[in-house]
Amino acid sequence: MNAPPQRALELILARNLLSSLSTAAFLVDDAGMIAFYNEAAAEVLGRRFEECGPMSADEWGQTHGPFGEGGEAIPFAELELTRGLVRGRPGHSNFTIRSLDGGDHLIEASAMPIVATGGQRGAMVFFWPAETAP
Amino acid sequence: MGARGSVPSPGPETNRYGGNTSCVQVTLSDGTVIALDAGTGIRSLGLSLPDPTRINILLTHLHLDHIQGLMFFAPAFQPRSEITIWGPEAEEASLEDRIARYISAPLSPVEVRELPCDVSFRETPATEWQIGPATVRAASVSHRGPTLGYRITEGECSVCYIPDHEPALGADLDDLEPEWISGFELACDASLLIHDCQYTDDEYPDHVGWGHSSMSAALAFARRVRAGRTVLFHHDPTHSDDALDRLHDRAVTRWCETGGEPTQLELACERREIALGSPVGTSA
Repeated sequence: MNAPPQRALELILARNLLSSLSTAAFLVDDAGMIAFYNEAAAEVLGRRFEECGPMSADEWGQTHGPFGEGGEAIPFAELELTRGLVRGRPGHSNFTIRSLDGGDHLIEASAMPIVATGGQRGAMVFFWPAETAP
Repeated sequence: MGARGSVPSPGPETNRYGGNTSCVQVTLSDGTVIALDAGTGIRSLGLSLPDPTRINILLTHLHLDHIQGLMFFAPAFQPRSEITIWGPEAEEASLEDRIARYISAPLSPVEVRELPCDVSFRETPATEWQIGPATVRAASVSHRGPTLGYRITEGECSVCYIPDHEPALGADLDDLEPEWISGFELACDASLLIHDCQYTDDEYPDHVGWGHSSMSAALAFARRVRAGRTVLFHHDPTHSDDALDRLHDRAVTRWCETGGEPTQLELACERREIALGSPVGTSA
């Protein structure tokens, strides 16, 4: 037998769910890797997940952000969203992400931890274009 | 000993494939007997075992078609029997307490504590464990509620049993990387794969999310994991023998179209025996 280590079933089911949604979303595993993002997210990011595969938070950060209003990079650890997840709680943050063509998108992101028997498996992070003042 | 899914379906129209629900007997090289699930098929298994008996029962999950036979398993009522029942853990209650919901009033005339045999209940560990000369592994798979698949390995032979499984729910099995396919690691390169094939491709669209596989999904899974042989299992109770014959023909045709050999594929049939090399043998 020469199979790769299996992803936790809860992550597999979460990926299947995200694949079926029109809401942009990505999946983070328990090691903090971006394990998957869906087609709706790919439209914003400028490339399909199949083109880049899983990536670390650092790799993601260098390409896609998060960035502040002035374009400065924001460490993931400083996001409310991340702080919530570290505590096993949902979290919500507004920030800018950058697509592969250099376009910036102000988004609202909400994260939900995936907790199963044995602990936290990762998180689902959904995002939308941020509502702007009229 | 039982290859049917959902509910026992005895009758003249199901005589050949059988109407008993899920139970597979695995006999190891030293004679150790393992029962995979305890559907109504385990009743006849129990009658065939000597007294005293020592047996391990590996439950994939606790849906009734996988535990209904426990109440009619003769060794459970023999004081010298030693029975170890393995199953999935759940946060709500212990395995024993969850099974006791069935073996208790008003569903049963006896309680678990009244069984005269030496019975123990164990949630499956996250790591491999030994039963006789075999290594056993369990892994969670895609079905409704906590559900396991099992892999039993002795020497070069391995049996993977995933009777209730919907790996293609929201996924395309042909495109996914192996690590993202439910049950892949468990079944990879198994000598024998016993896998859910409850629905025809025409029936499946009305049953998406029910936790079972279509014929095409079952074949795709078998092809992806490179199973040496595949037995399609957990027949829908509405499928007569004639309907299963037609399903078999379609499955073999599809299997061969994708490069498989017809001898690698069959539909589970009650009391069918398969010898794997020398060490591991099974009968459904």
